[in-house]
Amino acid sequence: MKRKKPYTLLNKVEPYLWILPSIILMAIFIIVPIGFVFRMAFSQVTKAGLVKGFCGFDNFSKVLKSAKFGLVLKNTIIWTILVVGLSTVLGFILALLLNNEFKGRKIARAIVVFPWATTLVIQASVWKFIIDTDYGALNTLLKTLGIIERNVNWTPAPEAFFAWEIACGIFVTIPFVCFTALSGLQSIDASYYEAATVDGANYWQKLGHITLPLVKPSLTVATVLNIIYVFNSFPIVWTITKGDPASRTDTLVTYLYKLAFYNGKQGEAAAVSVIGFLILLVCASIYMVSTLKKGDE
Amino acid sequence: MADNIRINWGKLLSRVLLYFVVALICLFILYPYFVMACTALKSRSEIFAINGTIFPINVMWSNFIDIWQKAPMARYMLNSIVIAAGSTAIAMVCGIPAAYALARMKFKGQTAFLGFIIVSQMFAPVVLLIGIYKVMQMFGLTNSLLGLIFINAAFNQAFTIWLLRGTFMSISAEMEQAATIDGCNRIQAMFKVLLPVAAPGIVTTLIFIFINAWNEYTVALCLISTDTLKPLTVGINIFNGYNMIEWQYLFAASIFAIIPVVILFMSIEKNLTSGLTAGGVKG
Repeated sequence: MKRKKPYTLLNKVEPYLWILPSIILMAIFIIVPIGFVFRMAFSQVTKAGLVKGFCGFDNFSKVLKSAKFGLVLKNTIIWTILVVGLSTVLGFILALLLNNEFKGRKIARAIVVFPWATTLVIQASVWKFIIDTDYGALNTLLKTLGIIERNVNWTPAPEAFFAWEIACGIFVTIPFVCFTALSGLQSIDASYYEAATVDGANYWQKLGHITLPLVKPSLTVATVLNIIYVFNSFPIVWTITKGDPASRTDTLVTYLYKLAFYNGKQGEAAAVSVIGFLILLVCASIYMVSTLKKGDE
Repeated sequence: MADNIRINWGKLLSRVLLYFVVALICLFILYPYFVMACTALKSRSEIFAINGTIFPINVMWSNFIDIWQKAPMARYMLNSIVIAAGSTAIAMVCGIPAAYALARMKFKGQTAFLGFIIVSQMFAPVVLLIGIYKVMQMFGLTNSLLGLIFINAAFNQAFTIWLLRGTFMSISAEMEQAATIDGCNRIQAMFKVLLPVAAPGIVTTLIFIFINAWNEYTVALCLISTDTLKPLTVGINIFNGYNMIEWQYLFAASIFAIIPVVILFMSIEKNLTSGLTAGGVKG
């Protein structure tokens, strides 16, 4: 009895010792920063970043009252929906194409890896160069091909810049969707299709009744992760326009970066962080509730 | 007979269409890289010429040499390697035991821990930058590579644990149990039996974290102010000044930053995607 007791105690504690390093790492560098952000969101913060004491929802009301915030929030929602939505559709179509057996498929897959592996800053810089009015590569290409005669201004308005940023966002997000969908597609048993062919189903029927339902779990995971990444994506907008002019191409993260590190309004920036987190939390809980419900069925 | 021929025509057509569409998409994906390569080989005057050309007229290989003198490129590259390797090492040292515990043991708070890992994904470092900056000030790690290493390791914990737990769970525990009966303790059993079998999954995870840390931009931009401490992603913007952008140098330097990761990524792509979705679906 006496010998057994410390043994079971060790047994009980052991799993926690195994996860301890990971917990310490995340506690210091994720949880503590989260705590700081929440504290600053509810505190008066000086320009130098000193926390001066509780101020209730002052920072939030300042943020919500500013004329820019509505615009920034609208931009963020448009950005997230368009980038995630379109890249999911296009990525899935690309996965369907690459799921066929054909010569050179390996090369095609390797090419699709490129945008996924390349850091976003560099991709954004290239797109910035491509769409430049005076010396951009797109104008040069179209002029050489004889499609246009004079340089076209691809970015006549801030909205046009934002549209290009969205296009760039879609371009870099497609590979992730494509490969997750592809791994889902390849795990589908060929016998389903054979049975459907025997039953006389055509391509679209197979797609709707076999492929889509079976790929859905992989696509859902990809979409949830994408919503989080795209919502929080910083480098594309930052590299191409820095959110200018007058916040018309800002999303929440570029807006809060400027608030914190350019304008010395760290309290308000923290409030924007909290708002962004709450929006994502709502999205994530919708996802979790819907998957839990499905589990019950 | 006539029927047969018709079916073959349809098949041929869809085949041609498939090749055509895939080729078109590949060209489209490669276009920015093509632009990057061509521009990196042009002279400044050629880039800003009124009637520019697609290909460089005078191929300036010297751009690829000049960048090493115009900017501390070797330093940037070394910093990127140190950050990526350091983050990977710490993420693995912390992540392997955690993933092992989650895959092989049952304990209270297991679900809560997994839940926390998923929620932690919701906080991109950008959103927490102000808080991260404060923590770094506390430890005196602002403007240091060590600070970046810790941040990258921490924000990659979720992926590390997620991917490794999936790998470990797909491997039967029987071998380890047999090893324990033979007198190994848990740690020995893990090192001698599990880890060698799990090597492909571990390598995939390792490379993925390395690439993530190598490509990280935002935190480095915010924390590092000394030029010689910048990683490539931030450092190459030395050519991207407010008044004039040296596109040829920017892209020449970019190519050096891209090539290693693209090659690494190709090597793990297949394992990675199945690992990511498996971890997510099984939850």
